[in-house]
Amino acid sequence: MSTQDDIELPETLSYHDWAAAVREDRLLGQSCEECSHVGGVPSGACQQCGSRDLTTVELPTEGTVHTETTINVPPEGFEERGYQVAVVTLGDARVMVRIEGEHVDIGDDVVLSGFIDTDEDHPAPTFETAD
Amino acid sequence: MTSFGVHDTPMQELFGEAVFAAFDDADVGPDEVEALYFGNAMGGQAENTTHLGPQVATHIGMAGKPVQRFEDACATSANAFKNAVQAVEAGIHDVVLVGGVERCTPETGKDTDEMTRIFASASNRQYEQPTGLTFPGVFALLTKRHMHEYGTTEEQLAHVAVKNHGHGALNPKAHFGKETTVEEALDGPVVADPFRLMDCCPFSDGASAVVVVSDDLADSFDDPVDVSGVGHATDVVPLADKEQVHVTQSARDASAEAYGQADITAEEIDFAEVHDCFTGAEILASEALGLVEDGQGGVAAAEGRTRRDGDIPINASGGLKAKGHPIGATGTAQIVELTEQVRGEAGDHQLDGVERGVAHNLGGDAGTTVVSVLEARP
Repeated sequence: MSTQDDIELPETLSYHDWAAAVREDRLLGQSCEECSHVGGVPSGACQQCGSRDLTTVELPTEGTVHTETTINVPPEGFEERGYQVAVVTLGDARVMVRIEGEHVDIGDDVVLSGFIDTDEDHPAPTFETAD
Repeated sequence: MTSFGVHDTPMQELFGEAVFAAFDDADVGPDEVEALYFGNAMGGQAENTTHLGPQVATHIGMAGKPVQRFEDACATSANAFKNAVQAVEAGIHDVVLVGGVERCTPETGKDTDEMTRIFASASNRQYEQPTGLTFPGVFALLTKRHMHEYGTTEEQLAHVAVKNHGHGALNPKAHFGKETTVEEALDGPVVADPFRLMDCCPFSDGASAVVVVSDDLADSFDDPVDVSGVGHATDVVPLADKEQVHVTQSARDASAEAYGQADITAEEIDFAEVHDCFTGAEILASEALGLVEDGQGGVAAAEGRTRRDGDIPINASGGLKAKGHPIGATGTAQIVELTEQVRGEAGDHQLDGVERGVAHNLGGDAGTTVVSVLEARP
């Protein structure tokens, strides 16, 4: 097993790199060399300025809840109901995640807890309360 | 347009009903119409029907004419309308047909969970759908942030539902013709908090169509209504990366473009049809369009300012909430409503003395918004 420090960050961040990182309890984003915007997921160009000069960055795994909802009418393929989905702020980026464990509110501190991949092997990061 | 609701009718027949009404209204037939700008969002997923353009053109006697089909989630036929207006303005065509059709009810053979998954396909496949996000969930995330920023309450959301159901009760084409109360709305089951059942628009079937003609030809038609502006903008998807999730920036950009073309300010708008797929979406839209101050959308709804007898009536048709929301038909249905209101032909739900209206049709998480301004021809 390699530790986080051993892993070289990909020069150009792809979905497959991002997904592999999620499965290793890590979150990768992109920082724009032109305007310093940090995107929470891979993109071909900066969402703010359009520059392709992006550097892959490791996002913090602790942050705060930006907004959240609890979904009681799930789509096909999600059998349970009453799960919480949130957008969390991680440093300069925001990422959509699933919340595990106790309910969290906007402004609460949360920490990465793992991932789910119930949707045709597409992983989604999970977070839980940091308290 | 057809009535919105539950239709056990194939899409080409539903579309035909809307088109023939538009043809008769404009007194044109397929010979005079040079092209079809057509919207259908989900026929491939919901009904195993793609390449629908020539199929519907055949049904309405327009085989041979060019058809372009648009898909922009819930903003599908507003995008068709924009492209039609631009083609006519550019002199490419003089007379075109614009419209959309969709079936979303269990008549498609798809149950709620299957259709919920199909609707969720408008969110990002890799970074949003795997969390189990749904479309009520998308707008819940935007609305929750608005509640946090401005103190918007669930009771204010309920007032939007009560208003639009009240309006829909006056519209014979509406999916829901029954009034409701704040107490009833707040007592409903939670779909995705803060949204309860009555905060959500229904799955609907329906079709709508309009005829767009050049400015030079307009006076040779009965009762034309001017399209004075159409703005169209996109925003970042996935929604986590939007700069501010509750501002619906694409609506601000699209309305600025449309108002600029029409040479008006928001204060000069008499009434609006906005994309109230959820009650919170109407509150965000009313602010983004400049119809009420930022942060005051919920207050304005609760105070009755956006009721049909208020200072800025919103969704006199009942909106998506009560009139219904057959995805690909919604955008041009708003154009039908604006046209009938400006003409004074809206029947029981006619507003008094309105001359200029705005339509706001969004797609996905407001990743797309199209804003159109229609007004009485001077």
